[in-house]
Amino acid sequence: MSGYIEAGYIVTLGALGVYAASLVGRERSARRRLPAPRPRATSTPVTGAAAVEAPADGGRSAAPADEGRAATPPGPPGQGG
Amino acid sequence: MSLTSPPVSPVGTTGPPRAVEAPTAPGAVAHARRRLRTRADAALFATGLVGVAGVVATVWLGLWVTPPDQFMGNLVRLLYIHPPLAWVMFLAYGVSFLASLLYLWPRTRSARFDRLAGAAAEVGVVFTGLTLVTGSLWGRPTWGQWWTWDPLLTTTALLFVLYLGYLALRRVPGEPEARAKRSAIAALIAFIDVPIVYFSVLWWKSLHQAPSIDLTTRKTYVHGSMAWTLLLGFVSFTVVFAWLVAHRYRLAVLEDREEREGLALALAERRAEAAEAP
Repeated sequence: MSGYIEAGYIVTLGALGVYAASLVGRERSARRRLPAPRPRATSTPVTGAAAVEAPADGGRSAAPADEGRAATPPGPPGQGG
Repeated sequence: MSLTSPPVSPVGTTGPPRAVEAPTAPGAVAHARRRLRTRADAALFATGLVGVAGVVATVWLGLWVTPPDQFMGNLVRLLYIHPPLAWVMFLAYGVSFLASLLYLWPRTRSARFDRLAGAAAEVGVVFTGLTLVTGSLWGRPTWGQWWTWDPLLTTTALLFVLYLGYLALRRVPGEPEARAKRSAIAALIAFIDVPIVYFSVLWWKSLHQAPSIDLTTRKTYVHGSMAWTLLLGFVSFTVVFAWLVAHRYRLAVLEDREEREGLALALAERRAEAAEAP
């Protein structure tokens, strides 16, 4: 064949393959970065600072990472006084 | 909300009452969601397999099984992928248009439609680029040049630029609702070019040949194994389009969540800083 035909097929299949692979890769890396979705309520009792931090708006505005942060006091002892 | 929250009740939660009333329900809901997601994953995987199989079959039929054309010779083989790519381009922008319309309609306004519009437009831009490249590869040996300012080519290039602008607009920072609204309006404006592209070969004198399958008169100018291969190309690339849009949509959901939670985290940090201040 003429070379133009092969080029057309290679460019098309290659570009679609690269785009598809990039989508799947980005999706996987985004899933790894994000923690699992937080259930709306837990069947086990909530204890400790996570419970203290439970937001007044029912949790709509808070991220799971907030809970972890709430476990630590606002600052080290002796500071912020 | 402050970090020095009021004391917690013995139950251990300050959340909404339903959390205390139905302790086992969320577990069941989470289980049902997981099952649904597993099924959706399986369906998406199957769609991908069907799309890949269809494209492989199209390539095999197009390159090795179908005969050369009486006038175009072997160059006709490029036409088993070029019109399907162009069809998906139209389909993608059609989906983006409809989703944008549904987003702007107050009764159906939902972030889902905004995400769908963005996902379809992005996939559409990829297919538009490929349509232009394969058309150029066909034009060089047929017309003797890579590019000509033919009405169809020019309006297609304009479409490509318009939707690139649309994708750039989607990335402009702002309130999610305002961003979605202006993106939806931009998608409606960009879509004006789509019928112009399709009818340009009929409205103006064009180097480009008329469509092999005329949707307005329902006439086909391709027959036999060539027609079946072309049809398979249309179906396969449509399935591939669906798979790509589904993945792009899922990625958009994750990106939105990341943005939301990143913002919540930043707010919590600022609050902590404020609480530390004397």
